Amino acid sequence: MSFRTQANAALRICYFNGIMPLWRSPLLIAAVFLTPFSFLFFLYVIAPRSLFPFGVVGGILFTALFTGNGMLNDCAYLRLERQLQQVFVASPVSPLAYLLGMALSELAFALPATVLFTSILVLVRPVSPLALAALLGVVLVTWLLATTLGFFISTLFAQLREIWPIGTLVFSLLSVLPPVFYPATEIPARWQWVALLAPSTYSAQLADRAVGLGGGISTGVAFVDSPLFAVGMLVAVTLLFGGAALFLARWREP
Amino acid sequence: MDALEAVGLSKTYARRGAPVRALDRVDLAIPKNALFAFLGRNGAGKTTFIKVAATLLLPTEGTVTLFGHDVVADPASVRPLMALVPQEGKLFFHLTPREHVYEYLRVRGVSKESATSRTDAILEAMGLLSHQNVIALRLSGGLQQRTLVAMVLATEAPFLFLDEPTLGMDPFARRQVWEVIRRAARRGSTVLLTTHYLDEAEQLSDELAVVEAGRILYRGTGEALKATVGREVRLQFSGGVRPEELEPFGRVFADRDRVVLLTARASVRELTELALSRGGEVTVGPVTLEEAFLDLVGRGIGEDES
Repeated sequence: MSFRTQANAALRICYFNGIMPLWRSPLLIAAVFLTPFSFLFFLYVIAPRSLFPFGVVGGILFTALFTGNGMLNDCAYLRLERQLQQVFVASPVSPLAYLLGMALSELAFALPATVLFTSILVLVRPVSPLALAALLGVVLVTWLLATTLGFFISTLFAQLREIWPIGTLVFSLLSVLPPVFYPATEIPARWQWVALLAPSTYSAQLADRAVGLGGGISTGVAFVDSPLFAVGMLVAVTLLFGGAALFLARWREP
Repeated sequence: MDALEAVGLSKTYARRGAPVRALDRVDLAIPKNALFAFLGRNGAGKTTFIKVAATLLLPTEGTVTLFGHDVVADPASVRPLMALVPQEGKLFFHLTPREHVYEYLRVRGVSKESATSRTDAILEAMGLLSHQNVIALRLSGGLQQRTLVAMVLATEAPFLFLDEPTLGMDPFARRQVWEVIRRAARRGSTVLLTTHYLDEAEQLSDELAVVEAGRILYRGTGEALKATVGREVRLQFSGGVRPEELEPFGRVFADRDRVVLLTARASVRELTELALSRGGEVTVGPVTLEEAFLDLVGRGIGEDES
């Protein structure tokens, strides 16, 4: 199959696995929206108003990060419970097209919540179109990072019951503990470097910076604290997870 | 060149405790356009063979080629040539049968026009037209299975792997599916199917292989398999005789309600009269594939145990 046919395959998988379920069960939109919105509401109630925009950006990134959890569960479900991944593997559809199609499906699920959080952001703070474009770029890279990681993890397990807690654990660790919903400055200065262990920190640093929020990491090393470093790390980790999904993931059982 | 050729194919699952040898040095060639059936007990190795050949599972030893391409070394060349009905596969619950077939064809790169006409044709052939717009969640298990088979048969792929394709279908639906499978073979596809329905294997296949403990015990036609029993007649008793009385006359299979004896023609009159005189009922007929299978696999198990 040509590149065009593979791209078409990915888009069709997104259509019937992402868009059609949303169309037929709109309640799924609420399910994606509910958790980050609850966090935001909680922040609104207990935190100073100045932190609210961080929470809104956090909601956007949380939604992007949790596409990974959706990817992990959907891929495992289709492979282990429905046996449908096998139908796609034994076909001209390339692993990359299947992976991309599934990842785009998750993006479709995340889109309504992302639009809603972005609308809230625009309401609470002036954001230029350029800043929005930069934010969108960060969201897309974060989505790629999360979905490739989710896919890779999903292929390592043979039982759905083993996979469910892993997804929640990994993606909660990536999205709740690091400074995604709050500024990194809330972490004591000497512990801020620990946040750099989570790739979601780089997403949050770049997203906050894009919309003009402060609160960046301050390790004392100028290069590490620069946005260029965050971009480099985010891209590097995404490539690493993407490579793992494509080359190390178990397309075939050993 | 054969459509499929396996040489020395082995697969050992590394389970905790003892490793499980699912395939044991299997040699098998399936010619092009053949309709080939795998018979075997649960866990005999049928699905493992299909998984390896369909590029879903790596073998431990040996090679499999599909139309000359090595399935391990060159899966990208092999995959466009195949389609698979997985064992106990299930549908996307939110899609209709029409959407399943059409979308799967489109994903495989079939043009819009061709996908539409093939979808119409297969839905009609499989008796799915009246359910074509019902989402899978609301379909019975048999209709879901029919949809899965329709998806795969509509591909017209050169090699079709059908792992228990008629599981859960009623007898009418099974016959409908058989006809579509036969049509696929007539059109030029090679079909490898596994089934536990011996009538299905007999009706559908040109040739079959009996698999037991990862080895091929028999390969040939269904008729030739029946001949291996070495008895000409099948007597089925409901009451009137005890299994141990029949043992000197041939091979006996007994279950709760009936006793089946495979025996020589010369014994028929004597045993029939005996059973009838005691108030039992007797049916006389030719040896079936089921008894031939039980006889062959039973002997295989006996040899292993000895």
